[in-house]
Amino acid sequence: MSNTAWLFVAFLAAWAIIGAYVYSLGARQRRLEERLDSLERSRS
Amino acid sequence: MTAVAMTAALILIFFVAREADAAMGGPLQRIFYFHVPAAWAAYLAFAIVFLSSIAYLRMGGRRWDLLAESAAELGVAFTTIVLVTGPIWAYPVWGTWWQWDARLTSALVMWLTYVGYLFLRALTEDPQRVGRLAAVAGVVGFVNVPIVHFSVRWWRTLHPSGPTPADLAADSGLGSPELLAFFTSLIAFTLLFAWLLGVRVRLGRLSDEIGAKEIRAPIEQAA
Repeated sequence: MSNTAWLFVAFLAAWAIIGAYVYSLGARQRRLEERLDSLERSRS
Repeated sequence: MTAVAMTAALILIFFVAREADAAMGGPLQRIFYFHVPAAWAAYLAFAIVFLSSIAYLRMGGRRWDLLAESAAELGVAFTTIVLVTGPIWAYPVWGTWWQWDARLTSALVMWLTYVGYLFLRALTEDPQRVGRLAAVAGVVGFVNVPIVHFSVRWWRTLHPSGPTPADLAADSGLGSPELLAFFTSLIAFTLLFAWLLGVRVRLGRLSDEIGAKEIRAPIEQAA
């Protein structure tokens, strides 16, 4: 594999990790919003 | 602003910072422009864990605990980037993915320490107990961070020591485009870190508010 290919692999790996973390934050936010909705529904 | 800085950094890394390629082992050296800023963001995160943990132990308060928890999570994410991009850089250059030298080993220990810190937080439900235990771990765990940084100067390592600020100011072999790419990338990663930290802290506050509402709900319904 060429050096340029290794550079892109490293670049993609870095962005995959950042992307996975941002996705996990989004998933946690959605779960919290669902909990909040069900809490408000049970109150009303 | 984070997106603009990151886009500028990527343009500079891939299209401008080419002069050092010949002197520093071809295009592979450009991993430096996100490997080092990711390490910087991890150091920043763990310094915040350390300071917030001290503040929590001295004054208490969920906000310090939440800040430490959020920063630790981000520190683990950025250290993961360092530990993944490092071996990808090392393999074509050293001929091996990993060497148990001082820098690599201490960086792995740092990552394991803060992964352990996050597991520790999940061990018990009592927020006071979690806060105290985690704060002590956040203070003790930071001991390794300067060791990681200075390991390349204190011990003989295969990992290069990298230029010091004084080297960067003098002749480090990095030309103006390379320095511009490096500092733009450093700023971009710092902004990315700050943005993610803000998002994570807001998420923690929302979780706390929902938790408090869930505790109050049965009492309110009974009344």
